[in-house]
Amino acid sequence: MITAERKPLEEIIAYVRPFDRILLVGCNECVTVCAAGGRKEVGILSSALQMAFLKQGKNLQVKEHTLERQCDPEYVEELSSMIDGADAVLSMACGCGVQEVARRYRDKPVFPAVNTTFMGASERQGVWAERCQGCGDCLLGITGGICPIARCSKQLLNGPCGGSTHGKCEISPDVDCAWQLIWDRLKALGLENRYEEIIPAKDWRTGRGGGPRKIIREDLAE
Amino acid sequence: MKPFEPVIVAFCCHYCAYTAADMAGSQRRCYPPNVRIVRVPCSGKVDTIHILKAFEKGADGIYVAGCLDGDCHFKNGNIRASRRVASVKGLLDEIGIGGERLEMVKISAGMGDRFADIAEQMTEKIRKLGPNPIHAARTAA
Amino acid sequence: METIERFQTRNKVLVVGGGVGGIRTALDLAEAGRDVVLIDAANAIGGLMTHLDRTFPTNNCDLCTISPNMSEENRSRHIDLMTLTRIIGLEGAAGDFTATLSTAPRYIDLTRCTACGECRRRFPECVDFSPGLDHRAPTCMRYPQATPQAFSIDLARCKDKQALAACCPAGAIVLDDAESRRQMRFGAVVMATGAGIFDPSALDNFNYGKDPDVVTSLEYERILSASGPTGGRLVRGSDGKVPEKIAWIQCVGSRGLQKGAAPYCSSVCCMFALKEAIVTKERFADQIDTTVFFMDMRTFGKDYEQYYQRSRDEYGLRFVRSRPHSVMRRPGEDRLTVTFAPYDQSVVKEEGFDMVVLATGFAVSEEMRKTAEALGIELNEHGFAKTPGFNPVATSRQGVYVCGMFESPKDIPETMIQASAAACRAAALVAPVPAKGVEAPEGEMAEDELEPFPPERDVTGEDPKVGVFICECGENIGGVVNVQALAKDAGSLPGVETAEVLGYSCSREGMKKIQERIRELQLNRVVIGGCSPRTHELQFQDTIRRAGLNKYLVEIANLRDQDTWVHLDRPAEAAANARALIQAAVSAVKTARPLTEHLLPMNQDVLVVGGGVAGMTAALRLADQGYQVFLAERRSMLGGIANLVRKTLEGDDVQAFVRDLIDRTLAHENLQVITSAFIVDHSGMPGMFKTGMQVGPQMFYRQINHGVTIMATGALPNRPSAYLLGEHDAVMTQLEADALIEEDSDRVAAWENVVMIQCVGSRIPENPNCSRICCQAAVKNALRIKELNSEARVIVLYRDMRTYGFQEDYYRKAREKGVIFARYETDALPQTEAAGDRVLVTFTDPILGRTLSVEADALMLSTGFVSDDESTEDLAAIFKLPRTSDGYFLEDHIKLRPVDLPAPGFFVAGTAHAPKSIKESLSQAEAAAGRALTLLARESINLGAAVARVDDSKCAACLICVRVCPYGVPFINADGYSEIDPAKCHGCGTCASECPAKAIDLMCFEDDQILAKLNGLLERMVA
Repeated sequence: MITAERKPLEEIIAYVRPFDRILLVGCNECVTVCAAGGRKEVGILSSALQMAFLKQGKNLQVKEHTLERQCDPEYVEELSSMIDGADAVLSMACGCGVQEVARRYRDKPVFPAVNTTFMGASERQGVWAERCQGCGDCLLGITGGICPIARCSKQLLNGPCGGSTHGKCEISPDVDCAWQLIWDRLKALGLENRYEEIIPAKDWRTGRGGGPRKIIREDLAE
Repeated sequence: MKPFEPVIVAFCCHYCAYTAADMAGSQRRCYPPNVRIVRVPCSGKVDTIHILKAFEKGADGIYVAGCLDGDCHFKNGNIRASRRVASVKGLLDEIGIGGERLEMVKISAGMGDRFADIAEQMTEKIRKLGPNPIHAARTAA
Repeated sequence: METIERFQTRNKVLVVGGGVGGIRTALDLAEAGRDVVLIDAANAIGGLMTHLDRTFPTNNCDLCTISPNMSEENRSRHIDLMTLTRIIGLEGAAGDFTATLSTAPRYIDLTRCTACGECRRRFPECVDFSPGLDHRAPTCMRYPQATPQAFSIDLARCKDKQALAACCPAGAIVLDDAESRRQMRFGAVVMATGAGIFDPSALDNFNYGKDPDVVTSLEYERILSASGPTGGRLVRGSDGKVPEKIAWIQCVGSRGLQKGAAPYCSSVCCMFALKEAIVTKERFADQIDTTVFFMDMRTFGKDYEQYYQRSRDEYGLRFVRSRPHSVMRRPGEDRLTVTFAPYDQSVVKEEGFDMVVLATGFAVSEEMRKTAEALGIELNEHGFAKTPGFNPVATSRQGVYVCGMFESPKDIPETMIQASAAACRAAALVAPVPAKGVEAPEGEMAEDELEPFPPERDVTGEDPKVGVFICECGENIGGVVNVQALAKDAGSLPGVETAEVLGYSCSREGMKKIQERIRELQLNRVVIGGCSPRTHELQFQDTIRRAGLNKYLVEIANLRDQDTWVHLDRPAEAAANARALIQAAVSAVKTARPLTEHLLPMNQDVLVVGGGVAGMTAALRLADQGYQVFLAERRSMLGGIANLVRKTLEGDDVQAFVRDLIDRTLAHENLQVITSAFIVDHSGMPGMFKTGMQVGPQMFYRQINHGVTIMATGALPNRPSAYLLGEHDAVMTQLEADALIEEDSDRVAAWENVVMIQCVGSRIPENPNCSRICCQAAVKNALRIKELNSEARVIVLYRDMRTYGFQEDYYRKAREKGVIFARYETDALPQTEAAGDRVLVTFTDPILGRTLSVEADALMLSTGFVSDDESTEDLAAIFKLPRTSDGYFLEDHIKLRPVDLPAPGFFVAGTAHAPKSIKESLSQAEAAAGRALTLLARESINLGAAVARVDDSKCAACLICVRVCPYGVPFINADGYSEIDPAKCHGCGTCASECPAKAIDLMCFEDDQILAKLNGLLERMVA
């Protein structure tokens, strides 16, 4: 899932200050699951913003709406009936959602209310951790199911480095050394010898190195 | 001008705090009339939005009252409520209401006196803090 | 009202007497599925308690606390009520009795009477009930909430009978009504006839009956009561002025050698005098001076000692230890003169008072003696029903049980305990009667309510039509805020169809009115402005359900407990708060939705925790009735503290009793004893509990499934380090002395001087309560020592001798035998020092005013009990049970539910509840079994409707509810949405408040309802 965190209220206030009527849009997908921009957070932000402006003597009108998925044009279309009543849109979706709304409603300013952080997994209730960087050329098949790109601080392909101590990364004792995890897992699988194989330098063209990426499924695309 | 009399909302869990409030009643333990009680099954049921809406409606102070640690009828609702209250305090600071207007308190069913004491302390504290700035701004506007 | 078939079978219980005890017995039996016939000689049930203004120690209004009971009473389908009826004969034996019942004429045809009150209006003087103060009533309705709601006529007092008959618009007055007799069969009989009140007019020294300013404590209650003769105004009879100085005189008609007075202690007079004086102080503070003349302050009940302390320290009651000689009015004087000699001064003093209240005791009336004789029940020398030492509610006739005052003078909680115990014993003799297709959990006897619940009216789509009903609750609400203005204000709220004031909504009359208005005005929502929903929500849900509304369409604004009671010092603010509370309730109820409830099967096994006499007795009573019982004991053997006791005050052999009890417990086929068992975990709900324990030396884990739990974990004998205890061989506790007297009588017989010190480790700041049993233990041991050696000098150093009830006989006997009782004050404690084999005890005798020293061969310390703090603390945490500040389990209601713990499905028995004697523990054990039967008789458990519900269309399947639920109930179903089984949901609402998609709502506490409530509560602010 894509994880996100609400921006500081001050920053959001600065975005919407020039406007009187705001459409606050949540998303019922990833940002709901990571408790950053679902229906509940939309309600909280709406109330918080209105109060913050009231304190400054301004009556901010906020219309709340949560879309099933903000990164799909059909869902985003739902907003067309309410967009005219708003001077600007504040989106609690990840960056994809924000951009999709901005693309569809060209004459409305659109602002993000969350910082999109990473693609991650839920470790336990209330804790999410980064797991993937979308490099476009997955290595997990040879690294025991643990990604060195996302989870090694240095993105080393043939680790660990000298900073690995007692299984922890030198940047923080709270961060596991990804290469320690990879070694432990390979050992558990009886695949220690795979560790001996040198992973060649990565071709970053499949990642951001090749510019913005796009997937076209010929069989599906119309 | 009359001195400022705050309006305080107390979210009270049915099993402990609400019972303690009734107990204060049966003991005729008088406390300031500023506190208005909303009954919830468990303090863990008190949602962030309930707290914000109460402030939005003009409450000057709010407290969430649950069972003593380890006494929650639903195991850990009171602990969850404490954490939530701590986080909402931060949000209230961001909004400019001030986190100190919100408190989490823990009371057992038999503590009628403590319920009244808390009502007194909270009233005194909010009286010192003055009116909810949102409400004050609204009234001025 | 008569169910003919029920009259022909013997499979039912006769309960004689409709006071609180009789009502409790009848209700317990009915809830346990047994048919009951409840008779009362009066024209309505309620007994003595309904005459009281308030009860101690909570100082609540009685009418409110008892009325849910009375309405329950009426609702119960198993109970037939026969008023104006007496029992005059009883043939047969246990299991098959034939009773002869005589019903006096009521002169009113109940089927025609509409309780319109016309006869009362034509005879306005007849309305009030005021014993001894107003004898004018020919037609009497004894109190506003009388059950059944019908009038009765005392024809002998009526001057114009024809005019009376003619005034009834319904033609219900029947002048030629006559006494009727009938014979009915019963399996068991419970005598709950109560006791009479001592009539002090027999004592000429108090001028009662001659001077209007001398009243009994019951009359004083009526003067204080909002429904009393003065409408709650405290005024003197002589001149209608508010008194400035009131005296209470204790032990009038009790502990007496006066003419006609009873020699025993009436047990409750100290507490009710304190209560009356405190209530007076609460209302009038320093305007009225209150003085209590007493001999020994007998506040021995649970937490009563603290009430006594508060009465002195917080309310400023004045206490004079003296039995006044006389009360008289000197000619021409405004005040009464009380003549008395303070106990520690050899002078006679006089003091003026505006009013004198005589704390009159209780006695068995001549009529009750005759009834007992007719029934073949043996009475003790004081005319109370005789019960064996270890069989607390059994009379001399098998199958006939007794509870309440007819057994001995006692207060309400103990009456309630005995009532449930009697229900348990009687239930063993009759079989449960299955319900007959009635939808309601409890049926009703009155004509209009015999029917099952009417079909529910579908209110969906209707605009809200709210009916607001505001209780005056006597002075409780009406005395603080203007209820009429409140109703007017409520009437103007949007959606409110009608807003009305009712005297007591919880009375039968009030509930009927609410139902009428629902039907007439087609109301679809109801708001009650009254007391706490904690106590009355169920009742009002039932009320509106009977009027065809879904029971979840009612909201209660807690105007009393959380407003008028706590802001009585600021009526204007109380009124503003009341308006806000009503507004919040109206606003919330408009969003309320009709809900359905969930049912689950009931596990009928029982877990008893604690294998002392209380635990074993409760276990045996239930096992005898065919239930599977698990008895878990922490120690390796059964018996508890009783193992240490040899004799009771009455001389019964405790060891023989305990041995027999253990043998029967171990041999019972339905009873499984688990010793060396440590409870480690617990989960579930009534009817489906799971309790885990580690058992035996290997501590292997075992889990028990059970439906109810009885806590009988006991207390500990106190052993404080004081007065050389544990340092000197001559110093011992009363418990050790009890064993020594039995086992080494030669040694005891050789003692010349024995000193006993009372209240060691009790009634002190560290353990403020009275241990209840130590005074009797001291008297018991003193008498036994005197028996072994009549020359022995026995000195008991005490603070107050608390030999309540018939124990007073032994106290008197001890004095007659020469035992010396000397008081000590807490600021001059006895001093002890070792003197060889003996102990030198030095104390101040307040009567002689001198310091005395005695070389004692034995020093016995009355150390009483302390709670088993460590054990109750652990168990309280595991079972989620509250405790008192001194570590005993806290019951659900100190007055009316002394056996039920606040957690549903839990009951308490014995010294885990409070210090008490063996007989009292046994009584509570049987009561716990009796209360357990009320649950065990059910086949299913109603889980209510307060459960979480998921809206599929909003659910993001995020798993947060799955992770946060404390009981692991939600799961993501095959459709990819969260699903919450309503049967498993406990209704805490944690998932609802955490759901990031706002897809979960907790029924009864839906978000929109909470927000609507906040809107209402804070409405004026946004205006």
